Amino acid sequence: MKINLSKDQIQKLALSTIGFVVLVYVYFSFFLGPLNKSRASMLTSIKDLQFKVGNSKNEMTKAANLEKQASAATSRYAALTNLSPEGAPIAWFPPRMRIFFSNQKIDKSTARLENNVPYKEADLAGWMRYNWVLDLPQTDFTTLGKALAELENNEPLLSINKINIHSLPVDPQFQQVNLAVATAILKR
Amino acid sequence: MALHLNLLHEEFQEQRQRQRDPLKIGMMVLGGLGALMFLYYMWNAYQTLGIRSRLNAVQSDWSKLEPQVTAAQKRSAELNSIIGTTKVLDGMIDGRFFWAPFLEKLSHCVALNAQLTSVDGTVLEENRGVNVLIEGLAAGREPRSAAEELRQLLLEQLSQSYHEVKVEFKTLEDLDTLVKIGGANMPTARFSLSATFNPNAVVKPAPAAPRKPKP
Repeated sequence: MKINLSKDQIQKLALSTIGFVVLVYVYFSFFLGPLNKSRASMLTSIKDLQFKVGNSKNEMTKAANLEKQASAATSRYAALTNLSPEGAPIAWFPPRMRIFFSNQKIDKSTARLENNVPYKEADLAGWMRYNWVLDLPQTDFTTLGKALAELENNEPLLSINKINIHSLPVDPQFQQVNLAVATAILKR
Repeated sequence: MALHLNLLHEEFQEQRQRQRDPLKIGMMVLGGLGALMFLYYMWNAYQTLGIRSRLNAVQSDWSKLEPQVTAAQKRSAELNSIIGTTKVLDGMIDGRFFWAPFLEKLSHCVALNAQLTSVDGTVLEENRGVNVLIEGLAAGREPRSAAEELRQLLLEQLSQSYHEVKVEFKTLEDLDTLVKIGGANMPTARFSLSATFNPNAVVKPAPAAPRKPKP
């Protein structure tokens, strides 16, 4: 069938086609496109959040289990940190040693700070190693042995690195003792 | 047959022309398409609203959960740090060398005819052992033998508790000085002993036994 269109009709048809193209463009660019874009972004957000929620539940379960498992470690850690009182170690460590040795019947003991250095281990970033020299001017061997046993048992963070025992020339039954000790002290 | 005359021919043609107007048809098609598109858009918008409400619900769940999760993560990190620190500190505590038992062993080795004048002990770095220098005097008919007895006894005593024990004389010299023991004058000797040992020896792996050839 042959359709004979007049010039006026062709113009109107072209106008309709242009209108159709404009309509499609406006529809996809300003209506459906942004809507789909926002829907896709919301779906991504939901997926992310659901993943986070799922992970966080695992995380909280793990933390609860860890809390149960770490109860021994936390109480031990608390006991070890309690060995480091507040304040500068130079202020409390020498008096503590003097009192300790006095209780062990070794008088006139002194403690000198040699130096303090940080630990190389990453886990001990909050701790410092303090090196001290303890001078015991007069003691006898048996008393010294008992005192050292007591010191090593009562101060778990203290280790004796050097020991010098020399008999006193005037009274050989007594000895003069120097101890080089290192202590791990919590940074406050 | 009756003759049918169309006297309104021109009017009919105009009406037909109006009905076939492409702009009108185009507008109707556009209108129809527009309506379809609008419906499709509305359907999509409805779905998007549903997704938005789901997102809001998930966001509100997350906002409730987030502080708890942050606290749990913080606590986990803290606990891991505590466990790590306690482990390292326990390692240090267990790896210490205890001098009191050593001094006790040393005191058991010194007989009545010997006297120690100095004990200098050092714990070597990186668990490489302990080094002790012991100086003293021994007296007896054979003062060197008395010193040797002390050395052997010390070696025996230390070997019971420590590994890689070596007790060697650094010096052993007779002195002119005489001392009275049990009412009799005895000559004396000055000695210097070096004792080295490892309190925490690593167990060496046993060499693999040679395989027997299969018959």
